Amino acid sequence: MSTGSRNRSPFARLRSRIFEWGGTLLAVEAALVYLFLYLPIVVLIALSFNDSRYALVWQGFTTEWYEALLAGETVARVNPSAAFSALVHSVEIALVTVVASVVFGTMLAFALDRYDFPGKGLFTGIVYMPIIIPSIVMGISLLLFFNIVGMSLGLHTAAIGHIAFDISFVTIVVLARLQRFDRTLEEAAKDLGANELETFRYVTLPMLKPGIVAGALLAFAMSFDDFVVTFFIIGNQNTLPIFFFSMVRQGITPGVNVVAALIIVVTMGVVGIAQWFEGPIW
Amino acid sequence: MASEHKSRERDVESGPSLRQRIRRSRWTGFAVNVTPSAFWLFVFFLVPLGVMFYYSFGQRGAFGEVLVAPKYLGLQQYRLFFVPEDASVFQAIWWTVAWLLEAIVPTNLQFAAGEPTPYVQLTLKSIGYGLLATLVSFAVGYPVAYYVGRIAPEEYQDLLLVLIILPFWASFLVRIYAIQILLSGNSVLTNALGFLPFYEAGQSLMNSQFAVMVGLVYIWIPFMILPVYASIEEIDFTLQEAAMDLGANKLQAFRKVIFPLSMPGVVAGSLLVFIPSTGAYVIPDLLGGTNSQMIGNFIAAQFGAAGNWPLGAAGSFTLMGIMLLAIALYQKYGSADIA
Repeated sequence: MSTGSRNRSPFARLRSRIFEWGGTLLAVEAALVYLFLYLPIVVLIALSFNDSRYALVWQGFTTEWYEALLAGETVARVNPSAAFSALVHSVEIALVTVVASVVFGTMLAFALDRYDFPGKGLFTGIVYMPIIIPSIVMGISLLLFFNIVGMSLGLHTAAIGHIAFDISFVTIVVLARLQRFDRTLEEAAKDLGANELETFRYVTLPMLKPGIVAGALLAFAMSFDDFVVTFFIIGNQNTLPIFFFSMVRQGITPGVNVVAALIIVVTMGVVGIAQWFEGPIW
Repeated sequence: MASEHKSRERDVESGPSLRQRIRRSRWTGFAVNVTPSAFWLFVFFLVPLGVMFYYSFGQRGAFGEVLVAPKYLGLQQYRLFFVPEDASVFQAIWWTVAWLLEAIVPTNLQFAAGEPTPYVQLTLKSIGYGLLATLVSFAVGYPVAYYVGRIAPEEYQDLLLVLIILPFWASFLVRIYAIQILLSGNSVLTNALGFLPFYEAGQSLMNSQFAVMVGLVYIWIPFMILPVYASIEEIDFTLQEAAMDLGANKLQAFRKVIFPLSMPGVVAGSLLVFIPSTGAYVIPDLLGGTNSQMIGNFIAAQFGAAGNWPLGAAGSFTLMGIMLLAIALYQKYGSADIA
């Protein structure tokens, strides 16, 4: 390389220089992207400790906002008890959604994995659709539907909508696991005298467990975090994202910063721990 | 499983009763497994979409009520959406093409006598946002995927991947709020950017098309990086060495061998970024100004303040049409499976 480079054009030399440093350049670019991903989160958490009521500029460290909110005081229109009841609603909806969609989705994954039937392609397409279509279309179409059948809106309609899209997420995750699954193990269990139920209980289910756990976690996150679909079909009830949205609309305040920082730390902590135990999820 | 059942059935001499036959039928298990989800998806997904589709052919009454009785049905909303008043369908198509050309070609030429409807302009603008977000995510994300999949030390790869996925799990709204903080006037970032020409330190970057684009890329870039990483991870890099042994330089080896092999990931990632970006509602709502609203905001407005449900439904199905087109293109040119 070095002997040949003497009589090459400056441009070619520059180019080979870039290649020489290519790995480093890529590392720098990657580092910038990681910075881009985490800088907003870090700044947000830092500002929740900022000793200033309005400014975005650092004025000194304080835990005043946390203390006030934890003591139940309202900080800049953020009412902690309203936030807490919204959180409870979110958790309730998410739990119902996870149970229903994990059971239904796992069953559906079995059906898709083990049976061929006419129209399977179309049916699979429909199963994928709730993930793909814009949430706003899904939310509004459900709103129209509930209006027409005369269902009053509330937590139950929100859960119905969440189950409708979470079935798809669970199905896809469990199906991926099922397709990598060595079916001869089930046959071996049956040859050794296990009946269908025993085979399922002691062979199939344990093998599927990581897929089901991942599916459940994904379903929980999707339900817990959903704003758009919920917004249209929950009536005048609140979930945490909807509560948070109405706060954000009113501007950047220390109270919102604290709620946001808490949400981020808790969700990322939970998922981080889950990944630690289960390996990378999804 | 199936063959076993059949052989057992044959062993029974007297023939099983109907109940036993149903119990043992291969399709009983299928029916049991498929029914709950199929029911749910039919009643709470397909039927609502059907209702919305039906509404898109309705009319708005004089007092904002929705008229969907058969005698009101027609294509009037789609006509209102796509065809300017007093224009023919042919003119509408030509005006739309001309409008796009005028936007792309940097001249002051006026190609057509009229403009497409504001709705079409908004739709095309949303597609433009989606494409630009996809392009930026690709340009910024591909090198990261390449770095993580190929150059980073093996023992850090899992960690680097987890670090890309982790923000995805943190609340969507909270992350948008965090972007809002950074782009606001007098924030850490806007103050630090003072060295840029044409930019006064501390000036707010919020409520602009730029802010919307930052938000879209910030939220969806992991969906570009992950599939590309998965593709790069599978490539046999001895092919690169082979290409270089045959006289290619590093750039040629990348362009002619490695990049084409990573295309399935690029195509999948592009779809995963394009679709949610084009249909975005919250991001333009919170980060954009009046000038940078997208078709999702238009749909929401029709079902809310503007109160024209049939027009909103027609807008929704236009948006759905764009998504289906993108997926159809993907299935034609990309690999067979999604996600």
